[in-house]
Amino acid sequence: MNGHEAEVAAEIRRLAREQGSRQAPFGDEEELAAQLDSLQLLALVTAVEDRYRIVLTPDDAAGTRSLADLARLVVRRVEAEGRGEGT
Amino acid sequence: MAHDPRIAAVVRVLPEHWYDQETLLAALTSYWARKHHNPERLAELHRAVGVKGRNLALPLEAYPGLDGLQKSNDAWIGAATSLGEAAVRKALGQAGLAPADVGHFYSVTSTGLSVPSLEARIANRLGMPHELRRTPIFGLGCAAGAGGTARAADALRAFPGDAAVMLSVELCSLTLQRDDGSIANAVASGLFGDGAAAVVLCGAGRPGPGPRVLATRSVLWRDTEWVMGWDFVDTGFRVVLSGRVPEVIRGNVAADVDAFLGAHGLARRDVRHWVAHTGGPKVLSAFGEALALPEEALARSRRSLAEVGNLSSASVLFVLGDLLDSGEAREGDYGLLAAMGPGFGAELLLLRW
Repeated sequence: MNGHEAEVAAEIRRLAREQGSRQAPFGDEEELAAQLDSLQLLALVTAVEDRYRIVLTPDDAAGTRSLADLARLVVRRVEAEGRGEGT
Repeated sequence: MAHDPRIAAVVRVLPEHWYDQETLLAALTSYWARKHHNPERLAELHRAVGVKGRNLALPLEAYPGLDGLQKSNDAWIGAATSLGEAAVRKALGQAGLAPADVGHFYSVTSTGLSVPSLEARIANRLGMPHELRRTPIFGLGCAAGAGGTARAADALRAFPGDAAVMLSVELCSLTLQRDDGSIANAVASGLFGDGAAAVVLCGAGRPGPGPRVLATRSVLWRDTEWVMGWDFVDTGFRVVLSGRVPEVIRGNVAADVDAFLGAHGLARRDVRHWVAHTGGPKVLSAFGEALALPEEALARSRRSLAEVGNLSSASVLFVLGDLLDSGEAREGDYGLLAAMGPGFGAELLLLRW
C-alpha cells in the first residue's frame, strides 16, 4: 500500500472499532470475511461508503478479501469520483 | 415444590398499525438519504435482520411530527397506557381474576419515561386495590420481560396467597432518532418493533393451571457495559448496539445456564422447552450454538422474530405466550426462559409444567 492507502486502511480500522465489531486491530492482509460475520461486514461496508461518499458494488466485493484490498479499492473509487467518473 | 408460584396467564398485544418491512424501509430512506451515501445498504441491513414486518404504536404518517423527546414521549405515555391496559385486562380475565385481586404490579420498559409510572396509571384505570405493591423497572432492556417475571415470582414466595401482574410495554418506534446516521441505528430501525405482554402470576396458595417457576437467576457479565444501551441526547434515546453482542453471548451464556440448571440437579438435555429472547438472527444463532441446541429448539423464537420483530423486553413473553397457547407442553416438562439485555447480562427462569 502507498501512503494514502495506508491512511485509508487506518481509517477503516477506526470505523470497525467504532462499530464495536472487533477489539483487536486488523492486520493489513487478514481476510475480512474470516474476521467479521456477514452483518458486521455489511455494517463496515456501509460505514466506509458513508465516510468516503462512494458506492461499492458486488463486483468490487469479488476482488476484495483483505483490509489492504479494501483500502486500495476505496482510494481508486474516491479518485474516480474526483475525476467525475462516479459510479 | 409446594411453595412455587405459577404463571397463570400470558397475553400478547400488538398495536393495530402493521407495516411490511419494505414500506418501513421506504419511510426511513426518505429520512436517511442524506445520512447514508448508498441507500441500498440500508435495505440490505434491513433484510439481513430477517423480519417481515412490524406493528407500530402510531400510524406511519404520525411519526414525522414527532420532532423531539417531549412529543415522542407524550405519544409513548398515551399509547403505552392503552396497550398495557388492554394486555392486563385480558390477562386477568384469562387467569380468572379481577383487578381487585392483584396484590403486586410490576411494569417494565426501556423505551419511554413516565412518572407516575405505567402501572400506577393502569391500576387507576382498572380499579386495582388501594394497597397495591407497585414496582416499575426501567433499564433492563430486552432482559426485562424475564427479569420482571422473575422478580414477581420471587415476591410471591414471600406472599404465597397473593397474585401479581407483570406488564412489559415497549414502543421502540417512538425512540427512533431520525438524525442518527449510525449503523447501530440503521440495524435497530430494521429490527425492533412495538408490543406489550402481560403475565399473571399466582402464589402457591392460589393453585391452578400453568407452569410453575421453580427458580430464578440473574447474571451480570463483568465489564460489558459497552455492549448495549442508550445514550441520552437532547432529542431522546440514541441506541448503543455493538456488533459484538453475539460474541458476548456465545462467550458467557452456556456456563451460566449450566450452573443454574446444575443447582437444581438438571442438565440441558432435561429441558424440553427453550423460551429464548428473540434478539436477532445472530443473537439466536449464538445462543443456540453456545448451548448446542438443535435447530428446532429455537424455532418458536425465530418465528416470532420474523413475524413481529424484536419487541425488546416483551419478546421473550411473546415466545412464552405462543408456547402456552400451543398446548405442546406436557405435565412434568421443564422449560428454561432466558433473555439477555444491557448490563450486559441475562435473566433466567426455570419452569415446570
